[in-house]
Amino acid sequence: MLDRVLSRKRLLELVDELAHARRIVGPVKQNDHYFYEPVDRADRLDLDFSYCVYGPKAFLLPPTQTLFRFKQHAGTFETTPEHNDEPLGIIGVHPCDVNAIRLLDHAFANTHPDEHYLTRRRQTFIVGIDCPGPCTEGVFCGDMHGNEATTGFDVMCYPLSRDDTGGDVRYGVVFGTDAGREFILYAQAGDPPSVEDERAFERYQIEKQAAFPQQIPYGVDTLPDLLERSYDSLLWQATARRCYSCGSCNLSCPTCYCFNMFDEQELALGTGERKREWDGCQLRSFAEVAGGHNFREAPASRLRHRIYRKAKWVKEREGIAGCVGCARCDRACTAKISSVEIYNQLAEER
Amino acid sequence: MPLIERTSMYRGDSLYEPRPAEITAVEKLTADENLYTIRLDGGGPLGHDPGQFVQVSLVGIGECPISICSSPTRLEHFQLCIRRAGEVTEHIHRLDAGDTVGIRGPLGHGFQVHELHGKDVLIVAGGLGIAPVRSLIQYILDERSRFGAFHLLYGARSPAEMLFQTDVIRWRENKDVNFHTTVDRPDEQWRGHTGVVTTLFQELPKLDPHETMAIIVGPPVMFKFVVLEVLGRRIPQKNVYCSLERRMKCGVGKCGHCQANNVYVCLEGPVFRYGELKALREAIG
Ligand SMILES: Cc1cc2nc3c(=O)[nH]c(=O)nc-3n(C[C@H](O)[C@H](O)[C@H](O)COP(=O)(O)OP(=O)(O)OC[C@H]3O[C@@H](n4cnc5c(N)ncnc54)[C@H](O)[C@@H]3O)c2cc1C
Ligand code: SF4
Ligand code: FES
Repeated sequence: MLDRVLSRKRLLELVDELAHARRIVGPVKQNDHYFYEPVDRADRLDLDFSYCVYGPKAFLLPPTQTLFRFKQHAGTFETTPEHNDEPLGIIGVHPCDVNAIRLLDHAFANTHPDEHYLTRRRQTFIVGIDCPGPCTEGVFCGDMHGNEATTGFDVMCYPLSRDDTGGDVRYGVVFGTDAGREFILYAQAGDPPSVEDERAFERYQIEKQAAFPQQIPYGVDTLPDLLERSYDSLLWQATARRCYSCGSCNLSCPTCYCFNMFDEQELALGTGERKREWDGCQLRSFAEVAGGHNFREAPASRLRHRIYRKAKWVKEREGIAGCVGCARCDRACTAKISSVEIYNQLAEER
Repeated sequence: MPLIERTSMYRGDSLYEPRPAEITAVEKLTADENLYTIRLDGGGPLGHDPGQFVQVSLVGIGECPISICSSPTRLEHFQLCIRRAGEVTEHIHRLDAGDTVGIRGPLGHGFQVHELHGKDVLIVAGGLGIAPVRSLIQYILDERSRFGAFHLLYGARSPAEMLFQTDVIRWRENKDVNFHTTVDRPDEQWRGHTGVVTTLFQELPKLDPHETMAIIVGPPVMFKFVVLEVLGRRIPQKNVYCSLERRMKCGVGKCGHCQANNVYVCLEGPVFRYGELKALREAIG
């Protein structure tokens, strides 16, 4: 069921309104690739983007982030936590990335709520743009159910039809939150959906179903079990022989959230910051301890760790899949190691 | 329209902020290990379970996880036994009484002492493994009437590397604990047992397998041999406890560093029942 229909032109006007109060981030084309970038005007956004090379994760969990500042004096120290509460609007988030953000929300909120993440997240307004079909070759979001988002956005826009002359798009809009509802309704933007709109939306969804090719013929629900039985498969070693342990797969992943912590200090002033930075389980020293023992010394054990997290463990722990099927890891890998290929090879070994 | 207003002025705390605490005493235990007695600023107990750990910070240098080696029954301060092993621990070793460190915690899942109440207890510790179990040893001795028989076996590499010598002397004399030590490599003065810690099992009386809780803490190789002895005495796997070590950063189940298969050692551990660990292929080396 749709909540509203709206032209793209009108949506962009609303985004310009939003820009008075929020920093706006969205897909921008640079040398044939799309990236999430801050923009000052909505018409700089390209909402026809195929996919962004990286997800919008960096705006919620920055590559490096100050956790607290400290000041040493009189033999002791004081700390001041740092939280960024600058209002942000991320415009043009595909369902895979909406689902990835849902996982981050969950991981940072559970047991020990992490206010560094949650403060930013609470201040973030998300406008989703649905995908009528795969954004590029090799994605397996259809298998992972990453291509459907039912929560995690403020509004989701379904491109129902395109006006042949002006190129304007007619979006069917679903509200995900009260803020999303207000965003559209306060400005009285768009129209209530007509019977034809609802029919168009039904057709859209049927066509969408057919548009995503199945990449994991055995079905994604079999993966946890398949992995459970594949711990000792030779495939880990055979594949990891090509791995450079470069961590590009971690870096490009919208759901990877592991981090390292470190200090920076101004020795003369006795001040400094404790920060965190993205880390990756594929890097050699990720599980190494003082004295040199490494709990995952072999590249094969690190590859297995990543794949198990993505297709089994994260889901078991958080209840939300650790992989959305965007295939950014596969595209990022110079060694052409592909998670979807690994799933299928493991299934065929059985 | 609330959306357009800059509403939030949120200034919350941080999960990662350490509290200042004063080192009140430093005791040199061995060439590489010191015992630090620490008092939180403003006093007050840490409020830990035996087997839990804290993140010790030196702001500007970093942080590392250290087991709390004193019992929660000793309220006025707590103790940490710290081996010099790298960057942060090296800097800690340069500190003296009166200096300040940062403390985050207590963290992790320790021994649930109520599960041990009313039971016989067998503790087997190897090397630095004596540090996390010392909190439990002290607890049992302080609350002695709550426990049945208490056996304690401790193995060190050499007499010089034996930790907590003052305690060792006291425990030897204490009728409340059946205590035995061994070293792998004796020196001239050593009069006690020689050999790996499993050789001390001959000193144990017959154990009642259904009333005995076994706690094994030490390096992975030691654990593998000791667990065989313990299971060989028909103690059920669910009554065997151990403590794992992993690289740690956040200590609160976020950063991923301590993960062993699907378990976050900093959250679900470091203390585990052996029965839970069996299925974790990465858990024990
Ligand atoms: C639950 C737990 C309890 C521990 N209890 C004690 C104890 O009671 N006494 C003691 O001397 N040591 C203990 N350790 C080991 C101690 O944490 C490491 O020796 C220490 O982190 C080394 O830090 P470093 O900065 O000196 O070394 P570096 O090699 O410079 O390490 C850099 C960083 O890596 C991480 N790291 C490195 N080694 C380890 C490790 N073994 N465990 C966890 N993180 C590591 C830390 O964040 C550390 O600051 C314990 C470890 C864990 C996980
Ligand atoms: S991107 Fe490829 S080569 Fe690099 S760590 Fe990941 S799997 Fe290995
Ligand atoms: S130390 Fe960060 S998850 Fe355990």
